[in-house]
Amino acid sequence: MSLKLLRQGLGRRPSRMWHDRPLKDHYRVVIIGGGAHGLACAYYLARDHGITDVAVLDKSYIGSGGSGRNTAILRANYLTPEGVHFYDASIKLYEELSRDLDFNVMFSQRGHLTLAHNDGSVRTMRRRAEVNRIEGVDSRLVFPDELARICPQLDLSPAPRFPILAALYHPPGGIIRHDAVVWGYARGADRRGVDIHQYTEVTGIDTANGAVTGVRTQRGIVSADIVLSATAGWSSNVTAMVGLELPLDTIPLQACVTEPLKPFLDVVIVSGSLHVYVSQSDRGELVMGASVDPFASYSMAGSLDFMESLAGHVLELFPFLSKARILRQWAGLCEMPPDYSPLMGVTPVDGFLLDAGWGTYGFKASPICGKAMAELIATRRTPDLIYPFRLSRFAEFDQVGEKGAASVGH
Amino acid sequence: MSGRRIEPQPGETIDRGCTVRFRFDGRQLEGYAGDTIASALTAAGVQVLSRSFKYHRPRGLLCGAGHCPNCLVQVGDEPNVRACRRPIEEGMEVAPQNVWPSLQYDAMALTELVSRFLPVGFYYKTFIRPAAMWPLYEHVLRNAAGLGAIDETTTVGGDFDKEYLHADVAVIGGGPAGLSAAVAAVEQGARVLLLDENKTLGGHLRFSGDGDDGRTRVGAWRESLGKGGATVLTQTAVIGHYQNHWLSAVRGNRLYKIRAAGVVVATGAFEIPMVFDGNDRPGVLLGTAVQRLIRLHGVAPGRRAVVVTASDAGWDVATDLVQAGVEVAAIADERPGQHADQRIDTTETQVLHGHTIGAAHGRSAVRAAVLVPVDGDGPWHTVDCDLIAVSTGWNPSLELAYLAGARSRYDEDLGEMRLQAVPDGLFLAGRVAGPGGLEDDVRQGDDAGHAAAEWARGGSKETGTTAAGQRTPAAPTGGRSSALVAAPPTGHDKRFVCYCEDVTDVDINTALLEGYDRIELLKRYSTLGMGPCQGRMCGLQGIRHCARDTDTSVADTGRTTARPPVTPVSLGALAGQRMEPVYLSALHDWHVQQGASMMIAGPWLRPEHYGDPVAEVGAVRQTVGLIDVSPLGKLQLTGPGVATMLERLYVNQWQDLRRGRVRYGMMCNDEGIVLDDGVCARLSEEEWYVSTTSTGAAGALEWMEWWRQSGWGEGVHITDMTETFAAFNLAGPRSREVLQQLTERDLSKAKFPYMRARRAEVAGVPCLLLRIGFTGELSYEIHCPAGFGRYLWETLVEAGGSFGLRPFGVEAQRVLRLEKAHLIVGQDTDALSDPIAADAAWAVRLDKGDFLGKRALTRVSSEGPRQRLVGFRTGRRVDALREGLQIVDAERRIIGWISSCRHSPTLDETLGLCWLPADMAAREQSTFTVFVAGRLEAAQVHHGPFYDPEGARLRS
Amino acid sequence: MLRIDCPNCGARNAAEFRYAGEYNPRPTQADDDEWIRYLYLRRNRMGVQVEWWYHRSGCGTWFLVERDRRSNEISRIMRWQPGVAETGSLSA
Repeated sequence: MSLKLLRQGLGRRPSRMWHDRPLKDHYRVVIIGGGAHGLACAYYLARDHGITDVAVLDKSYIGSGGSGRNTAILRANYLTPEGVHFYDASIKLYEELSRDLDFNVMFSQRGHLTLAHNDGSVRTMRRRAEVNRIEGVDSRLVFPDELARICPQLDLSPAPRFPILAALYHPPGGIIRHDAVVWGYARGADRRGVDIHQYTEVTGIDTANGAVTGVRTQRGIVSADIVLSATAGWSSNVTAMVGLELPLDTIPLQACVTEPLKPFLDVVIVSGSLHVYVSQSDRGELVMGASVDPFASYSMAGSLDFMESLAGHVLELFPFLSKARILRQWAGLCEMPPDYSPLMGVTPVDGFLLDAGWGTYGFKASPICGKAMAELIATRRTPDLIYPFRLSRFAEFDQVGEKGAASVGH
Repeated sequence: MSGRRIEPQPGETIDRGCTVRFRFDGRQLEGYAGDTIASALTAAGVQVLSRSFKYHRPRGLLCGAGHCPNCLVQVGDEPNVRACRRPIEEGMEVAPQNVWPSLQYDAMALTELVSRFLPVGFYYKTFIRPAAMWPLYEHVLRNAAGLGAIDETTTVGGDFDKEYLHADVAVIGGGPAGLSAAVAAVEQGARVLLLDENKTLGGHLRFSGDGDDGRTRVGAWRESLGKGGATVLTQTAVIGHYQNHWLSAVRGNRLYKIRAAGVVVATGAFEIPMVFDGNDRPGVLLGTAVQRLIRLHGVAPGRRAVVVTASDAGWDVATDLVQAGVEVAAIADERPGQHADQRIDTTETQVLHGHTIGAAHGRSAVRAAVLVPVDGDGPWHTVDCDLIAVSTGWNPSLELAYLAGARSRYDEDLGEMRLQAVPDGLFLAGRVAGPGGLEDDVRQGDDAGHAAAEWARGGSKETGTTAAGQRTPAAPTGGRSSALVAAPPTGHDKRFVCYCEDVTDVDINTALLEGYDRIELLKRYSTLGMGPCQGRMCGLQGIRHCARDTDTSVADTGRTTARPPVTPVSLGALAGQRMEPVYLSALHDWHVQQGASMMIAGPWLRPEHYGDPVAEVGAVRQTVGLIDVSPLGKLQLTGPGVATMLERLYVNQWQDLRRGRVRYGMMCNDEGIVLDDGVCARLSEEEWYVSTTSTGAAGALEWMEWWRQSGWGEGVHITDMTETFAAFNLAGPRSREVLQQLTERDLSKAKFPYMRARRAEVAGVPCLLLRIGFTGELSYEIHCPAGFGRYLWETLVEAGGSFGLRPFGVEAQRVLRLEKAHLIVGQDTDALSDPIAADAAWAVRLDKGDFLGKRALTRVSSEGPRQRLVGFRTGRRVDALREGLQIVDAERRIIGWISSCRHSPTLDETLGLCWLPADMAAREQSTFTVFVAGRLEAAQVHHGPFYDPEGARLRS
Repeated sequence: MLRIDCPNCGARNAAEFRYAGEYNPRPTQADDDEWIRYLYLRRNRMGVQVEWWYHRSGCGTWFLVERDRRSNEISRIMRWQPGVAETGSLSA
């Protein structure tokens, strides 16, 4: 048992994770968005570069956007070498994150299976497995005999409409406690002097001579040398404040959980053909999701269609679950870029930086994106790791093609 | 039966003439038809039904209304069944949940002894080092998780189905407000649908108030509804409200999807528990749970009771208890002063005003109640009892209204959430809109029913609107909620705010001190309200605690977002009959009869092969083969504008295509990305026949229609023939001879050469013949009405018998096309491939007018592509080469990949298509290396078809 | 479920339709910046936007929908005609 718990058990008052401090009128760096990305960037700015004159602003509570709405699946088995390098670096940071933050983020590397139900998917899975292997990521194609050992609960018979032919098996993949990542970064940043301002909405961004000068909030005007937008889901609305349009369409992504069940499913299961992914949390709930909604919206009300089709598809994989009950459904917002790869780095506005376009794959990238953006802010040089994801790649016709692998990329 | 069963009650729902036997925790028990599991168990004297989530404390019936987690049991292979709602059935096997080794002695209950070291969120603060130990810790945590168990061997989950319903006015809730609303709407001529989750209508009138009068009135309403033709569904729980009044409801195994013009929400209110020491002990019941047991099931849940209340509601409960023969030892009424009630004999019952409950004593059953002054000033009274009925707080059932977009705000005077605004077409009536008496409910229901019917007719919402503000909160006779956040602590036991997750008031206080001081953060960190009741029992208490400890008003603290479903719903009900659509060709049965191995191709099932794909390839190359290509997209385009439109949609040229001719076509978007390919045949000046890929058929049609309908389709009509026509390809050097037997049309090379289209009767069937093919052999694509498909196919097979005709499948076709180095869109191209890079530059006519992709392709053409699709060969058989393998350079950096690869039986070598850097691809015979499981395999670049490069055979 | 008034068939469930993105007319004349904007950039704002929908499981009509992306409330339905989204003239 940890000393902290012992002390707390013996009556010591627990310490605060973060503090409400007054909003200053100037910060060297203002980060819009108090999700895992924004807070990670603040944390690494302070930890790695000694930059602590930083404010993280969120219009709601921390982690209220995508960070608290995703299904917390981590993996690095991407299709392009650029994607694999980037997400593998993220997984490596996640593997050390509990120690680094001294806060258990409960990263559970119980393996990740992407099922293939037709020969085209088998081909794509082999392509991913090969790219992963060459780039040093543990990932391989497995067939029903081995699948039966990895996940004996799957219906591997030819009975379903889309029988399982093979799967991409990625042992380092798994699930994490998403809120804990947000809180751990927030505490780490707060302790190093970063100000976290919840319920502080940015209503405008000021520029002069093509350079950013600060932000306006409902609590007052804040000047800043650097402004970073880390507001995935809502990015187009933030960049509109500096007259910038982005190659994004914001589409809800829904998920749901069942009532707690005794644990039976260890690995994370993803099926692109069936548009579904399932994992079982440490609380016993099945956490399930699908592909993004059929139309763009900022409404997070959720739909019955989603639940109906999801249920049908989950039962294709696990026919014995028909009596398990859905407890709650919710939605988050995904801003989808044309090539299903993120937008990171500089913009045409000096000092205004972008951390956007996170589609359905943003949470996985939180540590590495935060770290890379912190390096960019501190050194004013785009790190090689994120150069392929620059905003200007569209005008340069140099996209990163993750689209083929990411129809349900969880 | 046991002594807990009392004399028959006038409104009871059990049939005392029908005994039902069931088992609980291995014990054989009996109840009556109409009993719930919980009422039968209570009658049998069983109080402990399950153990709790974290501390494994014994738990028993609490709310009796299907909300709280305390009576969740396992019924056969079904986990997490609410025992207070599920009727017993003969032979039912009921088991407690979350117990090990048994309900009485649970090893995990030891966690409570060390609970001071397992505070809220303890798992975030420990198990951090050493890293290697975390999987072990997690294993332990994980095995302690969950409630009910899933039987992984069950495969059949019951007969689930779905039904659509439509209504002018849907009324949710069959209590007095809902019934009068439904009657009013019916009288207005509306099509009314009334939904209620209980077996019988009447809402709280079934178990409270003057039973006889209530039953009479419910009977009258019911009769009016019957006369008015309303649809009444009982035992139907409305679980969701989605956009434009789209409701979901569940009754047994059936999911209803309901579209209503107007919706009346008359869902009433539910009782919530009080926070005091040991408030989870079996024997602590909410007042309405006691009333339900007595009046609906004829069961007395105890022998000696203490009643705790903050309103007259508790006195009603006490009265019911007395009438049921239960001794009411004491009543603690939070209100100061003397609330005398004639129904209670104060010589028998100790009445303590200004008092509430401080603690429940007992472990697996309540032994005594400690009653304390509300202000903490004065002596405590310990009263022996085996039942504590708590009737201190209500919460309006606003969940559906919230899902529909209604807003509320906490009302300090009422001690509950109060409606602020409702969206169009939504009307609230009765207790859900605020406290009131029965006559208020009825009048308001009447108003709401009128207004909803008016709305459904297209009228204004304002006429007779039933907004929250209009409800008089005066003199609530039912339940006024307690003003207390929690009872004064006595220090005896844990005080649970959230029963689902075992969250105590100390946990909440700790979480707030740690900085989780916004209600949403508090919920996520403490897990308050995240369990099976979804915050129904604890939500308001959590908000009150948060508000008190952060010096914020309850109203400003807000509430967590309501999310569907309102009550948990099974995957089976949501999935229904699980009808996954499948497209079958007109020849499907024939393929199956011939032993074809079927494969999934988009929405279609297609023959992959008929047992021997190599022999199938051989037949096509040497004699003749026949393949079913019915899944091809088939479009008929007519009108004077077709050629002009095709010029803009395709990269190829069309104006010059003469009648009776066919040309390959490729479509791109404005990014220059390949979308689809196929052929276009010009049948007459204004009549074209266009094919698309099989899997891209629907998308290609939508794409063409889009441009047609947005300015480029002047004089063009498109008819989708995909499912109307069957199509086959007869391929091989003997194909002409086979086909000529069946048609009078001259098939000679001179009369019907390569890339021509002809109409012809084949075996009496009107057909369109295209002299094209993917295989590189002389071949005819035969399109005919799908109804003739099987006849014509069988006739062709028979006619080809003497020539050695074999049917061939997709696998043979892939080999055949690869020998010709033809690409497959979607396999050899992806979301970033343009035709110039994909080795189809020959099809692109940059010298014609504007077309989709022209600007991009002009740029690619001048800059040159970075990567190119190109053929490769190996000169030998290399089975290790597979599609998806990566091509690497000397430093093992990825420079390309293999998109198609097969062993060619014709050429006896492994060959394929791959993506390479453009400069490498340009050099014929240049060698590159493929990464194969750690080894490297060499292959050489090859330009053009591998087989018959001049194309002599297909032109023959 | 959202209900959409197909200009041809009347009110139907949204599941019958396919959403096809913001109304983004193809420029006839455009410099490189304008062309990149047409190809990739989108307004994607919280608020009212005009977008394309297709009655996939129905009559096959493509039409324009003016919808508030916060609430999904639909304010106008238009058949396409030159300049329709700009002038906002409603189809009969």
